[in-house]
Amino acid sequence: MKVDVAIIGAGPAGLTAAIEIMQNGLSVAVIDEYYRPGGRLLGQHYEDPNAPPDERVWNGKKVAEQLAEKARALGVQIFTGVTAWSVSRKWEIAITGAEVNTVSASALLLATGSIEKALPIPGWTLPGAISIGAAQTFTNLHHIAVGKRVMIAGVDPLSLSVMIEMKNAGIDVAGMALPSFTPALGYRHSPADTTLLLTDVAGLAPNAFVRRFGKFALARFPRLIARTLRFNFLKVNGVPIHLRKSVVKIEGEGQVEAVLLQSVTVDGEPVGDVERVEVDTVCLSAGLYPLVDLAQTTGCRLVDIPELGGTVPLHGEDMSTQVDGLFVAGNITGIEGAKVAMAQGKLSAISILESLGTSGSMTVDKAMKKVEEARKIAPLRFLPEIDAGREKMNTIWEKEGIR
Amino acid sequence: MANTYRLGHSEAKQKTIEFYFNHKKLTGYEGEPIAASLLANGIRTIRTCEITGENRGILCGIGHCYECRAEVNGVPNVRTCLTPNSQGIEVFSGSASVHEGEMEDES
Repeated sequence: MKVDVAIIGAGPAGLTAAIEIMQNGLSVAVIDEYYRPGGRLLGQHYEDPNAPPDERVWNGKKVAEQLAEKARALGVQIFTGVTAWSVSRKWEIAITGAEVNTVSASALLLATGSIEKALPIPGWTLPGAISIGAAQTFTNLHHIAVGKRVMIAGVDPLSLSVMIEMKNAGIDVAGMALPSFTPALGYRHSPADTTLLLTDVAGLAPNAFVRRFGKFALARFPRLIARTLRFNFLKVNGVPIHLRKSVVKIEGEGQVEAVLLQSVTVDGEPVGDVERVEVDTVCLSAGLYPLVDLAQTTGCRLVDIPELGGTVPLHGEDMSTQVDGLFVAGNITGIEGAKVAMAQGKLSAISILESLGTSGSMTVDKAMKKVEEARKIAPLRFLPEIDAGREKMNTIWEKEGIR
Repeated sequence: MANTYRLGHSEAKQKTIEFYFNHKKLTGYEGEPIAASLLANGIRTIRTCEITGENRGILCGIGHCYECRAEVNGVPNVRTCLTPNSQGIEVFSGSASVHEGEMEDES
């Protein structure tokens, strides 16, 4: 099959890009491994206090359905349940799961998103121990309870929003605690670091966080607040958030039966008692990292920028890369929310259109500003220093990237 | 139906189908991933580890980890989290002993 532009990933970035490109006269195929389009949008369901009143409830599934419907109506070919195994230059994408084995295109957009970091604490392979992203999908997309009584390991913006979603769906969440420290997690999981990470979530759960501490205090005095949480733990929507305990072990005969919680100091060192809590499910939340495998195979240079969530393809602010005809958008460029991904998708589409000798619905400059605006009003930040990360990337690109 | 893990507000007008897991007849919704149908029935162990024999089930839910793989209509190693369910599908955990034998041959 031959198209002008191939897009890998039918999430918010990929679908938005597909629509923009199709609307401006070029043909598009989108490839996604999941059985329906939408990517991470499919599991999202939350309130965004920064949005205009009639858009306050963010129903990701609905947004995904609307984007996919619009794309298909325009003539975008969306392959679902199809795996893209490799890309070779200029461009041949080898796929399985479709009637054709190859998609060829003049330009390639990688919008492959992110995947969850593993949280290999003892017992994590027991049935009943599932990733927080899976819990979100089962709760909000499939409407199936992941268990009767749930403990969440990992306190971060994503796990907190999933906890609220699970509570809203009537699932018994026994509590949330820090992930036990493993080298795989890297940095920023002590109680003090975790409180800092929660400053943005303060806006999402106003009843609990803002009233007690306020965004200001969370950001300015993370150590102090972590210290005060020793005895008087925090509750959000009735669920205890144990910022001074970490999940050190998952126990069970053949499936999850309990977790062991270890008390820790403000800096995350184990101290004192271990407590056993009976649950049948543990949701593991260790954070997301960009899925860059396919970019790597194109010869695109990768840069390690922890503020963006890990190793990402070297790219310009216009979403182009050093590799001719290769563009990136969405979480492959750094971990952010769906609205930023959509703005990046549109921007990448306009850059692609211009690279192929035509133009989009606005200028590249205007579309870049839209990305910044989306970032500014994002309801939650997954990474506290995302702006610094973007700045770092731009500096490297200006110095070394531009062809 | 015995889908005790379904949450109250399930989508309206889903078509109920029958499928089999290790010969046991179960019900699910047409088009939802097989892993979702299994979880709705309270089934968490989808297979056993080919090396240790330990139970394994859903981990990532998006096809990346392959932990939820099973034999579906005779095809081995199908990721049940990505594969839509339909009427009459037969799902098996797969045979650990067969795989052990193969690995010994290779070594």
